[in-house]
Amino acid sequence: MDGEALAFMLLSALAILGGILMLNLRKVVHMVLAVVLTFLSLAGLYVTLSAEFVAVVQILIYSGAISIMMIFGIMLTKHNSKERRTKTPVRTGLVGIGVIVFFITVYYAIENLFYPTEATNLHVENTEQIGILIFSHYVIPFELVSVVLLVALVGAIILAKNKEADE
Amino acid sequence: MPMQPYLIVALILFCIGLFGALTKRNTIIVLICIELMLNAVNLNLIAFSKYGANANISGQVFSLFTITVAAAEVAVGMAILIALYRNKRNVNIDKMNTLKD
Amino acid sequence: MIYLAWLIPVVPFVSFLCLLWMRKAARSLASWFAVAASAITFGLTLAVFFASFQQGTFTQEWSWLTIGSIDITFGVLLNPLNSLMLLLVSFISFLIHVYSMGYMKGDSRISVYYGYLGLFTSAMLGLVLSPNLLQFYMFWELVGLGSFLLIGFYFYKNSAKQAAKKAFIMTRIGDVGLLIGLILLFWQTNSLRFTDIYTSITAGQVEAGMVTLIAILIFIGAIGKSGQFPLHTWLPDAMEGPTPVSALIHAATMVAAGVYLVAVMYPLYMASAIALTVVACVGAFTAIYAATIGLVQNDIKQVLAYSTISQLGYMMLAMGVLGYTAGVFHLFTHAFFKALLFLAAGSVIHALHTQNIKEMGGLNKKLKVTSFSFLVGALAISGFPLLSGFFSKEEILAAVWADGQYVLFFVALGAAFLTSLYMFRLYFLVFRGEPKKSLDHIQEAPIGMKATMVVLAIFALGIGYVNTPWFGTFLGDWLTEGASFLTGGHHSSPVWIMLAATIVSLGGIALAYYIYEGKKVDQGNWKQSFSGTYRMLSRNYYIDEFYELTFVKGTRGLGMAFHYIEMYVVSGMMDMIQGFFFSIGKTGSKTQNGQTQTYGAVAFLGLVLFMAFYIWKGGY
Repeated sequence: MDGEALAFMLLSALAILGGILMLNLRKVVHMVLAVVLTFLSLAGLYVTLSAEFVAVVQILIYSGAISIMMIFGIMLTKHNSKERRTKTPVRTGLVGIGVIVFFITVYYAIENLFYPTEATNLHVENTEQIGILIFSHYVIPFELVSVVLLVALVGAIILAKNKEADE
Repeated sequence: MPMQPYLIVALILFCIGLFGALTKRNTIIVLICIELMLNAVNLNLIAFSKYGANANISGQVFSLFTITVAAAEVAVGMAILIALYRNKRNVNIDKMNTLKD
Repeated sequence: MIYLAWLIPVVPFVSFLCLLWMRKAARSLASWFAVAASAITFGLTLAVFFASFQQGTFTQEWSWLTIGSIDITFGVLLNPLNSLMLLLVSFISFLIHVYSMGYMKGDSRISVYYGYLGLFTSAMLGLVLSPNLLQFYMFWELVGLGSFLLIGFYFYKNSAKQAAKKAFIMTRIGDVGLLIGLILLFWQTNSLRFTDIYTSITAGQVEAGMVTLIAILIFIGAIGKSGQFPLHTWLPDAMEGPTPVSALIHAATMVAAGVYLVAVMYPLYMASAIALTVVACVGAFTAIYAATIGLVQNDIKQVLAYSTISQLGYMMLAMGVLGYTAGVFHLFTHAFFKALLFLAAGSVIHALHTQNIKEMGGLNKKLKVTSFSFLVGALAISGFPLLSGFFSKEEILAAVWADGQYVLFFVALGAAFLTSLYMFRLYFLVFRGEPKKSLDHIQEAPIGMKATMVVLAIFALGIGYVNTPWFGTFLGDWLTEGASFLTGGHHSSPVWIMLAATIVSLGGIALAYYIYEGKKVDQGNWKQSFSGTYRMLSRNYYIDEFYELTFVKGTRGLGMAFHYIEMYVVSGMMDMIQGFFFSIGKTGSKTQNGQTQTYGAVAFLGLVLFMAFYIWKGGY
């Protein structure tokens, strides 16, 4: 077992552990922290897949910005709220069965998927490559994404604004 | 190192996110579960960018876009959540059933 | 001119529509408008009558419904009987319109009143003109509707409401008989046209039992409309309507429709001896029965109402003993003198604002024209010699005798005696004797009312001469001419019948004079010694109470039973069915609970199902 496989095993185990913890913990803040664990593990997995820039972005955006925003959201609403046991066991059971069946079907689809080729130069000047591609080939989607972000910014401010406080 | 393990990890995470999104009652957790599903997709994109049929750095660019859109989605989702909380004093999704009427 | 016959019922109907349409705006002009309409109707009728008199039978038909080979038509039929009725109805209606101008003056709903009169007249004229039974039936029901509206004209009075309802329901009971008879007749003869029915019946195409059944069923309809014995109780109650209406409906036209029905279907009755006997017996019984009740009533209009029932019984009796001409003749003369009596009574009510004859008396000094008219009417109805009633009544008695129904003959004679007795009781109590109240403020009716009364009085005096044993039987000849199924117009009657009728009539008048004018008998004493009989008579033989106990209570009990069945059995079943679907709906609506997660779960499960199916079928 080489180092790559070891790193993969460790990181993927941590990511799945984070997911399972998220499902089973009771306090909402703990859940968010469990998901942060998953996000960090995924960043590690990205590194093993020669995507250093994306890994850094993952840590910055997910573990940093989004998690902090979630925690702010929790604090602004009911900051010590607990997730209660579900009141709809039938639905939970059905969804569970459905998810398992879904897992099996998709697993069946990917179990024999194999491509012999492997990109070898991804880690070389990774950030530069991404930058060149974004600003040449993907420049229009990039600009559109900026518009999406702007719209989301404006929309979020309008939605979250306290109208009563204004008046 | 084959590609399948990455895909299977992504699938497991996706399933966890899906299950949580459909069963959890706290709206914040539902949002987080959706983020988890998006992350699983990101993992897929990056795995394919290394091991795919036409392995290419484009997959990483795509995942960057996905992360951006996810961030925007979380921002808007949070704003909606806070507006709802202000009206209903509650963040549980099963209390938000005005679609019924 | 005869081609315009269809216009006769249309004119009053148009008047009805116009008056109803602009009932607020036209209040001041309503009476003039309606009188003009009825005058036009009368003029048209007169023209058509003379044309028909010259041309004989006239038929005009338009196809209405075609069912297979059967053609149902509507149109007009003019034969002697029809034209006579037409003339009668439109003339009396015209006079009533004129009279109402005075009587209903100042009523806030006068245009509605005239509208209803127009509707009623139109329906009656249409009925008389009908060439087939279906059209006849439709107008028959319209007549019922018109009388319902007119009786209930003072609908704010509870008694008027009840009376209107009663009249409608009682006549409906008869109508059911008529309808069944009509359907049976259609089944048997495949036609509803009168002429076809006559042909089938006289050719013996319908078996005898069926003819009897149909005839009796149709007679039930006539019983309802003409107020014959078991279904008569609506007629006295119907006096709740305005008095001119009573004169129009309950004297001259609507109640005559029953007699007219029997006259129209006469070949049917000719073919069945049993049916004829039934008609005769019901008529004779009604005649004497109503006359006895009439003796003790204290309401001026009630007396006249019972007198109407009694006279209608006379007509039915005549019909039942093959006295077709006699019956129609009496119908004809009765219309005049009964309308006259009602109008005179209306004039009294108009002047005194009371209907109780105990509060009247000595009115002949003040109401000279009214008093004279009433006297003429009373003499005519009593069969005083040389007045119209004398001839028609004598004709009926002769017909009864000629048919060999001796029991019925004496019944009829008794009824004639009672008729003159109660009519003159009424006359003496109302117009003679000492006034019960001060008469200073009493005034004679306006000129329009007086004029109509005088016109009717002249007719009541002279109309009998159209058919007399001495100067010729014009009416009888004309009625039977061209109608081969009818027997001869006049029964050669022994002279003693005429004498007997005269003696009976005069005897009744004399007795009334003796009791009420001469005060030879102490009335209080008389009332007490026969208190049981008196009470029974004044309570109308307890028929209303009997109906109340049997039919109303029985129906109500039946209704209660059905109500409970409905409540527990039927609605229990309905509840079960409804609960079943309700629970299905409830289950369905549970899925629509507004929970986005549920919606998402359902959508996801659907996707999973498709994917699993895809793989199972060997996808990828």
